[in-house]
Amino acid sequence: MSRVRVESARNVLLNVEDVSLAFGGVRALQQVSFDVYEHEIRAIIGPNGAGKSSMLNVINGVYTPQHGRITFLGKVRENMDTHQAAADGIARTFQSLALFRGMSVLDNIMTGRNLRMKTGVLLQAVHFGPAKKEELRHREHVEHIIDFLEIQAHRKTPVGRLPYGLQKRVDLGRALAMEPKLLLLDEPMAGMNLEEKEDMCRFVLDVSEEFGTTIVLIEHDMSVVMDISDRVVVLDYGKKISDGAPDEVRNSKNVIDAYLGVAH
Amino acid sequence: MGTYLQRNWAIVALITAIVIGMALPLAVGLSAPGFYFEVMLGGLMSGVLYSLVALGLVLIFKASGVFNFAQGAMVLFAALSVARMSEVMPLPVAFVLAIGVMAVFAWLIERLVLRHLVNQDAVVLLMATLGVSFFLDGFGQTVWGSDIYQIDTGLPKTPVLVAENIFQGGILINTEDLVAAAAAALLVIALALFFQKTPTGRALRAVADDHQAAQSIGIPLNRIWVIVWTVAGFVALVAGVVWGSKLGVQFSVSLVALKALPVVILGGFTSVPGAILGGLIIGVGEKFAEVFLGPILVKQFDLAGGGIENWFAYMLALLFLLVRPEGLFGEKHIDRV
Repeated sequence: MSRVRVESARNVLLNVEDVSLAFGGVRALQQVSFDVYEHEIRAIIGPNGAGKSSMLNVINGVYTPQHGRITFLGKVRENMDTHQAAADGIARTFQSLALFRGMSVLDNIMTGRNLRMKTGVLLQAVHFGPAKKEELRHREHVEHIIDFLEIQAHRKTPVGRLPYGLQKRVDLGRALAMEPKLLLLDEPMAGMNLEEKEDMCRFVLDVSEEFGTTIVLIEHDMSVVMDISDRVVVLDYGKKISDGAPDEVRNSKNVIDAYLGVAH
Repeated sequence: MGTYLQRNWAIVALITAIVIGMALPLAVGLSAPGFYFEVMLGGLMSGVLYSLVALGLVLIFKASGVFNFAQGAMVLFAALSVARMSEVMPLPVAFVLAIGVMAVFAWLIERLVLRHLVNQDAVVLLMATLGVSFFLDGFGQTVWGSDIYQIDTGLPKTPVLVAENIFQGGILINTEDLVAAAAAALLVIALALFFQKTPTGRALRAVADDHQAAQSIGIPLNRIWVIVWTVAGFVALVAGVVWGSKLGVQFSVSLVALKALPVVILGGFTSVPGAILGGLIIGVGEKFAEVFLGPILVKQFDLAGGGIENWFAYMLALLFLLVRPEGLFGEKHIDRV
């Protein structure tokens, strides 16, 4: 039941070539290659410890791989850091929530606009004129996101007090506020009940439709992923074992073995 | 409420004891009301200074998890800069230049120290600031000299008598003290607005909450640190000028950092209101202890009395550590991974 969309636009936004990452003796990723087209929803799945999060952290600039090359927007990135990745248009959400707990929903999402604010600290301190105008313009954009994620009622609530499912939405909202070219979702459905999962699926699809954002998502739960993604990469023990449309992947022998176990 | 009392009886008892202890001298007629309030004002005045120094500590701790032992040295250095520069130029100009000096200092600290020690243990960072503290004390004397210098704010030092018709004798207040207190209050309000209302303030709060997430949305940690140390330097500057105009600028100013430590223990390491309130409580508390408790000790136990002001703050902080380690307003758990 995969969506066959955007077949026409086949521009490669992100290209991962031959990436290997090791922590001491632990080989987290071994010669992984895949590409991500513009506007697609690309999933990375795999059992626990398959290297999914490491892959995401490599794209995001948290880890620098020992081998391999990552090309984003036609530019090869080297020794990238997180801050640089954000500046280039890569946003992410976190598996274990990393929201600013003491701040309101509105402020949390507003922080996502930080990179786009141009007025200097001193002008901001005066808080009139250009600084105020800029703040209002960004506020408008953030209000749009709040409407989109249906969290209007919680605008002023400190996020620490929201239920888990809503916190996940705020996390998504903060990433969306950056107007990213590439959105990385780290297990967006983890720990959610069925209803929350369905909501989140809908939001992911809507983000893709409405903003045209390219999405790479990591998920543990295979069924969810198969429904919403265009193409799927499967990792197991740090190696890529399958890559293709959801139906192809589902029927691949390697994948079935990895998920169900196989007699050696 | 019942369960709250059950769980927190110790802190409630401690706060009650503080309040009763403060009201007691007046209640039992140990002093005339006029004198009582004068002592209280004196305490509030030194309390404001403690608050300002503690505020600097809290700002830096929140944003970078560093306990900045050098905050007192920063106060001294800023005060020295203003005092010596105001000898050759008008005070406002010297003040503005001193802000620049503190900003350059903040930038150097980030470049030379913090950047290289990121993700090290808190102890390592504390040691680094200890080193910075000694360097700054010495460097200040190298550049500006080691005499006692005056900062002349031009404010009248004549005391005013208020509340004369409420009770006999009224209260003597120094105009300069009032202006200083007002300036401190203004500074705190301005900082609160800056933190709550501006994008940079929001970014600072974001970094204080979660480093990793802040980086992932493109908030540059290095720049935030420079800003936060500059703001802390500015707070130190105000504290230094207030102190210097009252008591003169000398090396002992640097030691005020040692008094700010019990203040942040009492108020909570991560709380701005805690730093303010903690400073005032300790300022008033130690003055009361010195003035009212001292004579009792002399009379009842034949002790020499005196010196209470020096240890009272630490004893109070110790009690807080036993009863409520996170302080009055601090966050209970500070997990940084």
